[in-house]
Amino acid sequence: MQLTQDSAMERLASLGMDDMPVMEYAPKRCIIDKDWFKKYTVLRREFLSSLTDSYEEIAFMNLTQDEFMNLIMGKSMPDNTSVRFRVPLIWGGKLDIDNMFMCLTFPHSQNLDRFIIDQSDANVVFLPNPAKKIYVTTHLAGGGAGGNAASDRLSLAAMNYVSSNRGNE
Amino acid sequence: MYHLTGVTNKKMKTNEFISLIKSRGATIVPAAPGTTITIANASLQEMRAAMIPAFLSDLYNSCCGITLGSACIFGPAPVDRGIKYPLPSIMEINRDVIGNKNLFGKTVFGRNDLFWFATDALGKCYMLDNLTLSVLRTYDDAYQAMTDCLIIGKI
Repeated sequence: MQLTQDSAMERLASLGMDDMPVMEYAPKRCIIDKDWFKKYTVLRREFLSSLTDSYEEIAFMNLTQDEFMNLIMGKSMPDNTSVRFRVPLIWGGKLDIDNMFMCLTFPHSQNLDRFIIDQSDANVVFLPNPAKKIYVTTHLAGGGAGGNAASDRLSLAAMNYVSSNRGNE
Repeated sequence: MYHLTGVTNKKMKTNEFISLIKSRGATIVPAAPGTTITIANASLQEMRAAMIPAFLSDLYNSCCGITLGSACIFGPAPVDRGIKYPLPSIMEINRDVIGNKNLFGKTVFGRNDLFWFATDALGKCYMLDNLTLSVLRTYDDAYQAMTDCLIIGKI
């Protein structure tokens, strides 16, 4: 399906990501290096290590304190987080940190897959291109610094976790 | 042999597969009631996806989905994950891509950051490109397909 800039934004809005910027791109099939997977695994770790400048966005991802610390130290990725390419490798994207961004697997990465699959037969596609290394929808970022009695988002996440487990002992 | 993940598990049984993947850090969701599997199977056939093959049916008798990092095997029912977004059911995932010609007669059962995984009614599995859903490789061994699907979530 060939989309226009407006219809692409409408489609993203219907997927709950009306604040996701898009870029127009003419996909060209490329041959990928044989050792791409090895390079990709190394690059993912480098990308995680580079996230120390993105702690504000990470704080909005509803992570536990351990997950937050492991991520910001480049040790491991939390569950339900994905690293995506801005321009996919098979369409000429580079194996480069600048070509990557991070978002939640569900619902965002799954919905971005659907957004691109819808356009897979088009000559010109609109690809998600968030401004920062981490995409967090503004719908999650409403309200004050924390919420209710919490002073910050991490404390709020911790309180939510504790309250969700209360009574299950 | 399997150049992608390097993890092989030839001729496994369901419980052996679950043990292997658990030892790699996967989260196994407790099994759903048998009726849920029956309902999921009927819903998938209505969507003209593939009915649930024997290997998935066996898996669903032991668990209602598996997650490992960003990778997952979808279960017959959605999984509540507390403050994290719930894991959708196999019906929701397949409903979203209904009508895609590359998926006619196939059921998507898993995904990671790079690929989607589907199966047909006979239990043959397919690794699909997550942008076009074209088939990248086929598997006769379903447990190898599931292993490849999950291991990529933890690289």
